[in-house]
Amino acid sequence: MEGLRNDGRRWNELRRIHCQLSTSSTNADGSSYIEQGFTKVLCNVTGPAEPSSRQKVKQDAATVTCEVYFAAFSGTDRIKRGRNDKKVQELQTAIQKTFASVILTHLFSRSEITISIHILSQDGGTLAACINATTLALIDAGIPLKDYVCACTSGQSTSIFDNEGSTPDPWLDVNYLEESDIPSLTVATVGETEKIVALSMENKVRIEMLEGMIAVGISGCAKVKGIMDAEVRRYGKTRLEAATGE
Amino acid sequence: MPKEPEISLAEKTFVLEALKQNLRVDGRNIHSFRDIQFSFGDDYGFVDVRLGKTRVLARISAEIIRPRPDRPFEGTFTISTEMGPMASPSFEVGRPTDLDNTLSRLLEKSIRRSTALDLESLCIVTAQRVWSLRADLHFLSHDGNLIDTACIATITALAHFRLPVVTVSGEDITIHPVTERVPVPLSLLHWPICVTFSFFGEDDDGEMVCVLDATAQEEALREGDMTVTVNKNGEVCQISKSGGVAVEAETLMKCARKAAEKVKGIDKLIASALRGDEIARNKGNLDWLKEGRSENER
Repeated sequence: MEGLRNDGRRWNELRRIHCQLSTSSTNADGSSYIEQGFTKVLCNVTGPAEPSSRQKVKQDAATVTCEVYFAAFSGTDRIKRGRNDKKVQELQTAIQKTFASVILTHLFSRSEITISIHILSQDGGTLAACINATTLALIDAGIPLKDYVCACTSGQSTSIFDNEGSTPDPWLDVNYLEESDIPSLTVATVGETEKIVALSMENKVRIEMLEGMIAVGISGCAKVKGIMDAEVRRYGKTRLEAATGE
Repeated sequence: MPKEPEISLAEKTFVLEALKQNLRVDGRNIHSFRDIQFSFGDDYGFVDVRLGKTRVLARISAEIIRPRPDRPFEGTFTISTEMGPMASPSFEVGRPTDLDNTLSRLLEKSIRRSTALDLESLCIVTAQRVWSLRADLHFLSHDGNLIDTACIATITALAHFRLPVVTVSGEDITIHPVTERVPVPLSLLHWPICVTFSFFGEDDDGEMVCVLDATAQEEALREGDMTVTVNKNGEVCQISKSGGVAVEAETLMKCARKAAEKVKGIDKLIASALRGDEIARNKGNLDWLKEGRSENER
């Protein structure tokens, strides 16, 4: 049992990722569903469309808006989070700002792209799952992006150095139990580059530990990108086959 | 909603080109803060922090309440931030902007979640009476870097604040006025301090330009930002970079180390300002102070 985490993974293993495109065929221009372990997120994208209010009109770029809904049953305790909840607003701002810099907004001036995310189940890495789901939904909607935005979490199992002065390996893709126990961070990268577009950490950690955590997070992002890309290609192929009647 | 005046194209090009050569309009180094000035009020826990033209006022107040039933040993601490047109005409009362939300969440994460304040020390009688602390932040003038200034102001005010002594005998709780017993400082476990970096794209050598303590003009032109909260012991309490330009991990790590270095300086500044105030406050009646302390000069 040496070196295994509470759910049987090793330090550098992701949980199972299952993703789907075009999950809601009528209501949205693009939609997706992603499961990362027991974290389940549904995402719909509408747009580019006429902005819902005049305030949102930008003359030289599209406006990106994001709405996040936490299902009351998504966590361990039944909590209803309203629209004005600080945590919801923070998540919305984080996603909106992340994608505003990655979508080629200058192509759609005076229009609005709305991302709406439904969090159905939370088991750690909620922000990461939301970002991944949004990328897939935007691809499904055919909105031009600079590249995939992939997010992953990583955590540091202990905050002390061992006897040899080296740190234990950080854990990749933490689940809910790990997330509430150990310091963890969420990192989002653009494509396969190691450039970080979003980074968020809410716990106290020694600065020396940070580098390892970020490095492990980035390697996780690359793995997530591979999985998402495979699904996009598989889905594209089935659509093409359906269209050509083969 | 009144919009911020847009920066003219000429000005924009000038500022950005200068930054690419690591020069700033106000002549500062890209990694230097503006002068931090503290002025303390007559009461404990009242501090006015100025960072260049940015000015934030923090006020700590305390009252005794019944604790939450699920946390009978803990006092409460809330930070309230409200931006009004006083700071900048683009802020409206009652309609929080994005900056407003970001700021209150950041302070929450930096100071409350990192357990800078020992909430258990605020307990008077378990499940009966606890202190409820409240930090009110007033933004008087906005010239960039509100987040760092607000964080410095809150920490300074908390370190400056004194709680009245409370004695419990049986059912009775007596709060001793300041004139009767020397009030006690709060138990602050560490001083988390926010440092915000602004990113301005790559310079001629292909390196990201990371600017510290941006002015309002620089903030309007920046391509991305990141806030790191560190204490002087080198513990990172919080990092948040949401969106903006994509930055190499190595650059972000450099920023974090730079932040840790800067925080040590700011920490010293706060400590010396607090010491200065203590000396000024006790001028003339130092005997009174000695009586209240267990230690004395040997």
